[in-house]
Amino acid sequence: MGKRRYPDGSPVRESRGNWLSPFLSFVIPGAGQAYLGLYARGAGIFLSVIALIALILWQGTGVLFAPVLGIWVWNVWDAWQVARGRRPKFSIPVLLAAIVIYGLAFVSTEVQPQRMITGWDSMVPYVRALFHPELMEYATEDKVATAPIQVPCVEPLPEPDRKPTENPKIILDKKCGAVGDTLTLHGEGFFPNFEGEVWWLNPIGDAQRVIIDDKQAKFMTDDQGRFDLVITIPQAVPLSEQPPPGQTQTHQVRAEQHRPYGNLQPTRTLKLVWEKIGETVALAFLATILGMIFALPISFLAARNLMFHNPVTRVIYYIVRTSLNIVRSIETLMWAIIFAVWVGLGPFGGMLALMIHTIAALGKLYSEAIESIDPGPIEAVRATGANDLQVIVYAVVPQILPTFASFTLYRWDINVRMSTVIGLISDAGLGFLVIQWIRLNQFSAMATAILAIMFVVTTLDYASSILRKRIIEGKPASPKQNLFVRWGKWAIVLALFVVTFAWSWNVAEVSFTNLVTGLPSGMKLMKAFAVPDLLDRPTEAHSVRQPLPVPCGVAEAPQPPASGPRVALQPQCGDVGDPLVIDGYDLPPNTHVSIRWEMPDGSFLRVKSNCCDTDASGRVHLETKISPLMEIGEDSPPGSVGYVGINWEEIVGGPRISKTVKTVANLALITLLMALLATTFSSFFAIPLSFFAARNIMGDTLFGRIVYNVFKMGFNLTRSIEPMILVLIMAAWVGAGPFAGVLALILNNIPNLGKLFAETIEQIDEGPVEAIIATGANKLQTLVYAVVPQLVPPFLAFILYQWDINIRMSTVIGFVGGGGIGQQFRLWVGLNQYDKAGTAVWAIVIMVWSMDYLSAKAREKLI
Amino acid sequence: MLRVEHLTKVFPDGTVALKDVSFEVKEGEFLAVIGLSGSGKSTLLRCINRLIDPTEGKVVWDDKDVTAAQGKELRRIRRQIGMIFQQFNLVKRSTVMTNVLTGRLGYAHPVTSLFHIFPEEDYKRAHAALERVGIAEKADNRADQLSGGQQQRVAIARALMQEPKLMLADEPVASLDPVLAHSILRYLETLNQEDGITVICSLHFLDLVHRYATRVIGLKDGELVFDGLPTELTPEKFKEVYGEEAEIVTVSGEKL
Ligand SMILES: Nc1ncnc2c1ncn2[C@@H]1O[C@H](COP(=O)(O)OP(=O)(O)O)[C@@H](O)[C@H]1O
Ligand SMILES: [Mg+2]
Repeated sequence: MGKRRYPDGSPVRESRGNWLSPFLSFVIPGAGQAYLGLYARGAGIFLSVIALIALILWQGTGVLFAPVLGIWVWNVWDAWQVARGRRPKFSIPVLLAAIVIYGLAFVSTEVQPQRMITGWDSMVPYVRALFHPELMEYATEDKVATAPIQVPCVEPLPEPDRKPTENPKIILDKKCGAVGDTLTLHGEGFFPNFEGEVWWLNPIGDAQRVIIDDKQAKFMTDDQGRFDLVITIPQAVPLSEQPPPGQTQTHQVRAEQHRPYGNLQPTRTLKLVWEKIGETVALAFLATILGMIFALPISFLAARNLMFHNPVTRVIYYIVRTSLNIVRSIETLMWAIIFAVWVGLGPFGGMLALMIHTIAALGKLYSEAIESIDPGPIEAVRATGANDLQVIVYAVVPQILPTFASFTLYRWDINVRMSTVIGLISDAGLGFLVIQWIRLNQFSAMATAILAIMFVVTTLDYASSILRKRIIEGKPASPKQNLFVRWGKWAIVLALFVVTFAWSWNVAEVSFTNLVTGLPSGMKLMKAFAVPDLLDRPTEAHSVRQPLPVPCGVAEAPQPPASGPRVALQPQCGDVGDPLVIDGYDLPPNTHVSIRWEMPDGSFLRVKSNCCDTDASGRVHLETKISPLMEIGEDSPPGSVGYVGINWEEIVGGPRISKTVKTVANLALITLLMALLATTFSSFFAIPLSFFAARNIMGDTLFGRIVYNVFKMGFNLTRSIEPMILVLIMAAWVGAGPFAGVLALILNNIPNLGKLFAETIEQIDEGPVEAIIATGANKLQTLVYAVVPQLVPPFLAFILYQWDINIRMSTVIGFVGGGGIGQQFRLWVGLNQYDKAGTAVWAIVIMVWSMDYLSAKAREKLI
Repeated sequence: MLRVEHLTKVFPDGTVALKDVSFEVKEGEFLAVIGLSGSGKSTLLRCINRLIDPTEGKVVWDDKDVTAAQGKELRRIRRQIGMIFQQFNLVKRSTVMTNVLTGRLGYAHPVTSLFHIFPEEDYKRAHAALERVGIAEKADNRADQLSGGQQQRVAIARALMQEPKLMLADEPVASLDPVLAHSILRYLETLNQEDGITVICSLHFLDLVHRYATRVIGLKDGELVFDGLPTELTPEKFKEVYGEEAEIVTVSGEKL
C-alpha cells in the first residue's frame, strides 16, 4: 500500500501520533511541523517567531507580544492540522506578523497623529504664505536710522564701536542696559504721518524684530516726522556667545520706513528666486551633460556581453559594476555632504554630487541598453557585406541611441528635482532659499521659492515629455530636406548647447583648484568612510584633583599625595589672573587627558581646549592664569573651594561591537520602518484618488473632464516638491523627527503613485471588460472580474518601486529634520566624526542593496 | 426569433457604422456575416447584445425588445446570449477556471460572487464546459500561459456557462491559423447542431462560409448588400460585397 500523501505529493508520516506534534510546537514553535518532516515549514515558523520577538525586545514595546502569542497558538493548531494531513494557509500568521511590524513602525517612528492637530497653529503661517507669495511690490523710498546701545552695562562703559545715523536719527534714553530693561526711542527726520517698524541688530549684525505684546513694534510719526516708542531690550545673542564678565557688546536699534511710490515691480525676493532658478537649472544641466560624458565609456566596461569574453575584462566588469552600485546606493544629498567637506559649500559641490550619482545611474542604464542589443539586425547588415564601422553606424547606433537619449532625458528630470533640494546642503539653488527663509521665519518669501520650484519642475517635466515622445516616435530626417536647412538647424542647436554649457559652467563655479586643494580633507573623509567604526573597547573614567583656594585663605590647600596619579599646583592658592602652573604626575603615559577648572557647584570648564597629552613618563605640564570662575564670592557657603582636575579614560577589557554600530542598526531599522509606513499609507490614499485622474473613468462629460484635469494638475504640482522640502514644513507642523519624515514622504508619494496608477487605469484592456459585460454581469462584478485583475499586478509593481525610492529617501530625509539615519549621519559629519559617519554609510549601502534585492525578487513573482 | 429592424448607428465622431440594416434570424440558424474590415460587422454584433447602443432601429429577440431593455432586464437578456471575440478577451492574469466561471456572473449571487464564491454546481458545470472544449487539464493555469487556440476554447467554455440560446462570434478565427480555425468553428457547429444554439458569426473567408454557414448576410459601408444562402454567394456576389479589386482567398491561402 502506498503512503498517504499531501496534495503536493510529499508523504504523510502517519505513524507518529496526532497529539505529539502540537505539543512539540507548543514548546518550540515549528518543532511539531519539523517532526512531521516539513522542515521548511517548521524552520520558517520558528525563525519568524524568533525574529518578531527579537524585534519587539529591541524596540521595547510589550503590547506587541499579543499578536506573537496569536502566531504561537496558530502554530500549535497548524501542527495538529498538519498531523491530520491538512496544510492550512499562512494568511492568519502573516496578518498577525504584519500587525507586529506596523505596530513597531508606529512606535519607533513616533507617529502621533494628535500632533497634526496640536501643531496646526504653527503650520498656519506656512499654508497662508503659499497663497501670498512675494511676487510684485511697489518701489519704495526708505528712511532708515540706527543707534548703538551696549548690553550689558559695565563700569567703565567703553565707547560703542558703531556710530548713530544723523538724518533721520533715533535718540535712546540710555547708553547701555540689560536684557529686559525698557528703552525709550525718540525718532526725528522721518517721513511725517507714516508708519515704520523697529528692528534689533545684534553685534554681528543679524536683525530680529522687536516684539511688543507678541507683535512687531511699529511706530507712527507726527506732522514733523517724529515719534516716541518704548521697547524692552531683547535677548539677541545665544548664551554661548555672551560677553565674558566685565565686558559688553554693542547692539543697534534700527527704525525704518518704506514709503511706496511709482509702479509695481518684482520684489527683491522674486529677483533672488529668479537668479536661483538659473542656478538650479544650470546645476542640473551641467551634471547631466558631464554625467553622460563620463557614463558613456564606463557603460561599455559594465556591459556583460562585451566584457565576458576573457577573464581580465570579466574582472574589470565586476569591479566597475560593483562601484557603480555602491555609488548609486548613496543618495545625491549624501554625496553633497561629502563634497561640501571636499570642495566647500556652494554650487560646485552640489554639481559634483549630482554628477557622480548621475554617472553611476546612467552607467548602469546605458550598460543594460548595450546588453539588450538585438544581434539580428547586426547579422543582417553584416550579411549585406558591410564593414565593421558600417555595422556600428547602421545596426548598433540606431538601436542604442534612442534608449540612451531617453535614459539621459529621464535622468535630467531627476536632476532638476534633485537640484531643487541640493541647496539644503550645498547652499546653491532654490532649496537653499527655502531653508534659509524658513530659518528666518520669512514665510511669504519661502512660498515664493516653493512656487518657483513647482513652476520649474513642472515646465521642464512637460518639455522633456514632449522631447521624449519625439525620440520614441523617432522622426527620421527626410533626405529630401534642403541640406543647407538641415545643417543650419544643427548649427543653431549646437550653438545653443555651447552657450548653455558655458553659462552653466560659470554658474556652477567649477573650480579645479578647489578640487585639488580640498583633496586632503576629501581623502581623509573617504578613508574614514572606508574603515567604519565597528569595534570599540570599554573604558573607565579616572580623575585626580587638587583644591585651589581663590583668594588664598577661603579654604585649606593640602599637599598633594607623594606618589600615585596626582596634580600639583604652583602657587597653591592665589587671586584671579595670577599665573598658575599645573603639573600632573604618574598619569598613564601617552594618554589624552583633559585639565579642567572644577567649580564648587560641580560644573567645570576646560582650562585649554584640545589639551593635553601625557608624555612617556606619564607627566603633563600646563601654564595658565587663574580663571575668574575659581573665585569664591562672599555669598558662597563657608569652606567651598574650586579644584583643578585632570580626567582621562582607561581601556578595560577586550574589543566589542561599538556603540556606533548599535546606534546605526537601530536607526537603520527606524529608517526602514519609515519607508514602510510611508509606502503603505500613500498607496492607501493614492488608489482611490487615482481613479479621479484617469481619463477613461471620468468620461467625457464636462464635470468628468473638470475633475480629471483638477486631479491631474494637482498631482503634477504636488509631485514637483521633493520630500526634502516638504519635511521642512512638516517639521514645523508635528515637530522634527521620523514622523515628520513619514508625513513628507506620504505627501510626496500620493501624487507620484496616483499618477502612475491613473496611467495604468487608462491603459486597461477593454476587451475583457466587454466580454464580461456580455455575460450579463453587473457593474460591480465587471470591476471585480475584469478590471481589478488587470490592475493588481502593475499597482503592486509601482508600490514596490516607490518602496525602493522611499528607502533611499528616508536615508537622507533626516538631514533636515525628518529623523532616521540621515539625521545622525549629518550630525557625525558636522562633528568631524567621519569613522562613525562611515559606519552609517555602510549601513545604508547594505540596507539599500538588500531591500533592492528583495523587491526585485518580489517583482519577478508579480510578472 | 431574432429580428433586426432599421438599425442605424452613428458614432459620436460622426462615423456612420450601420445604415438602416434589417434582417431576421430563425432559431437554429448558423448565420455568417461578411464584409470588409470597417464595414460594420462588429458594430452590428455589439448592437444585438447592446454593448453598443444603436442610434435608431430596433432589435427584437424572443419577442423582447432588446433596444428598450435597461438594467436588470438587459442583463437577463445578455446572459442568454454568449459572445466570443477575435482577441479572445480573457482576463489574462486570472486562471482558466476563474475566466470560465465569469460566464456565470449573470446568474451568480451579486454579493458572494464579488469574493470569488460560486456554488458547487457552477464548478461542476465549468469542468464540464472545459471538458467539452478539450482543455480540462488547464483549469488551474493562468490564461496567458495558453496558446491562441486554447484561449479561444476557454472563451467558448465561458460562453457555454451562460447556457446561451444565441451565440455571437466576432471574427472568432481571424487571429488563428487555418487548422485551429477549423477546430474552433467545428465547436460552434456542434453547439449549433447538437444544442440547437443559434449562431451569428462574422467571417472573412469564403470557404469557411461555404463550409459552416446555413445563411449569409453581407455588409458594405454599413449597408446590407447581400442576404441569402451560401450557395447563392457566387464569386460575382462576393466581389460586390468586397469590392472589385478583391481576390477570393481560402482560409489556407489558395485562390479560388
Ligand atoms: N467607438 C467608435 N467610435 C467611432 N467610430 C467607430 C467606433 N467603433 C467603430 N467605428 C467605426 O465604425 C465603422 C465600422 O466599424 P466595425 O463595426 O468595427 O467594422 P468591422 O468590424 O466590420 O471591421 C468603422 O469605420 C470604424 O472606424
Ligand atoms: Mg471588427
